[in-house]
Amino acid sequence: MQFKKLAIVAFSLSNLFLTSVFAQEESTSAFAQEESTSARQIVDKFQTELVQVMKNGKKLGYSGRFDKLETSVSNSHDLPKIARIVVGKEWEKLTEEQQKKLTDVFSKLSIASYAHNFKDFDGEAFVIDSEEETKMGGVVIHSHLDLPDDKPVKFDYMLKEKGVSWRIINIIANGVSDLALKRSEYTAILQRDGFDALITKINEKIDNYAKQ
Amino acid sequence: MTKKTLATLICSVLFAANVQAKASDPYESFNRSMYDFNSSVDDYIAAPLANGYKFITPSVVQTGVFNFFNNLKGVNVVLNDVLQAKFSQSVADLGRFTLNSTAGLVGIIDVAQYAGLEQSDEDFDQTLAVWGVPQGSYLVLPLVGPMTIRSAPASAFDSAANPASYASVGLYYVSAPIQFMAALNARANAEGALKFINEVALDKYVFTRESFLQWRKNLENDGKVSGSIDDDLMMVEEKIGSGLNLRLSDYKQFETAAKSFGYVVQKFDLAAKNFEQASHKIEHLKPR
Repeated sequence: MQFKKLAIVAFSLSNLFLTSVFAQEESTSAFAQEESTSARQIVDKFQTELVQVMKNGKKLGYSGRFDKLETSVSNSHDLPKIARIVVGKEWEKLTEEQQKKLTDVFSKLSIASYAHNFKDFDGEAFVIDSEEETKMGGVVIHSHLDLPDDKPVKFDYMLKEKGVSWRIINIIANGVSDLALKRSEYTAILQRDGFDALITKINEKIDNYAKQ
Repeated sequence: MTKKTLATLICSVLFAANVQAKASDPYESFNRSMYDFNSSVDDYIAAPLANGYKFITPSVVQTGVFNFFNNLKGVNVVLNDVLQAKFSQSVADLGRFTLNSTAGLVGIIDVAQYAGLEQSDEDFDQTLAVWGVPQGSYLVLPLVGPMTIRSAPASAFDSAANPASYASVGLYYVSAPIQFMAALNARANAEGALKFINEVALDKYVFTRESFLQWRKNLENDGKVSGSIDDDLMMVEEKIGSGLNLRLSDYKQFETAAKSFGYVVQKFDLAAKNFEQASHKIEHLKPR
């Protein structure tokens, strides 16, 4: 019975898989919307774009969804920071080339995951519930996703200030932190199997998403 | 000092050192063996049975079976509501159980959801958490799956408070099909989660462990995320290289636990080897 509830969390997680995107693209997009934007506006815009992609999911196809979401995600997430955090202390041990490689494939995996999971629309709707400032200078946007035939899924977006705007650095879905989960997984593989094995595993997942 | 005591002490010290590196999962070696064993059992026995059940059973019947067993958990939910002093919630949950057991034809139809009565998720593990009992280490038990030191004994209470458990005291030809259906229903409903894990996890064992522990923590906190947000922000703010400080309290807790469980771990390792062998044997059963 425990797995029944896990299934709900699993559905939630299928919605997050946030991301980092290529460093150059990230910096370009950040400058593109340099007007002061609140944390709430960032989340709201991202969710709206996500629902748009879902509505046009079948027409866009996998590659079309991938292209649309690449822009949306890079404009709303602190991409290099997420990539660094998910490997923890192991980041320091990587060469610059490896860091860039990791950021690159991790970004592709995250976008591919979104493109795979947000392929159609059945009447789902995001609703922002409240906003909370944290003691450590962050903002948490509490929201939920209404599902047509199931319980709503809670989404708590954690954002940090970046320049004059804000960027998502974590999503907590029904209490499960994507950042903490990924960090456990990535550091375990890096420590046990090494950098090349991690990259291979990520690339395999990207290929699987593109095929399905 | 006897040899046995010395061996236990050495084992405890070595284990404590290992705990520093693996504070969140001190029994990882044992747990991974159990995880592999359970996966083998699932691949070759549980999954084919559950898939067969889903294939031959109309979805409306599957829903009815799920609702029936789900409703039986209502007794345990009400008990734990009371034990956690959630009295108003206990009244709502009792109403839900009564409505489904009567108007819902012994629980086959979930009429309570149409009456706006949300289902609460309470069990004795959460009650122990409310009473201040620490969660303890992560454990994977054979044929049972993910647990913690606290939830393993707590599940005995949950079983005792579930009427489905008492089918086993009846006639065998009555009780066996009921227990079998309960297990089949549970596995069939886990299909989505297991498929998802296969699809996204880079390391299925770590993914399952982390999501399970976080999910349990979320249930304990009744869905309030403030605590975990602080933890995550510390992780974000943490300067690279100083991560160990963040886990110092955990380490101390696990070090104490390690001293207590050092000897038990030896037994676990022996058991793990046995299950590894069993897992290999199941592997040989795979059609070539």
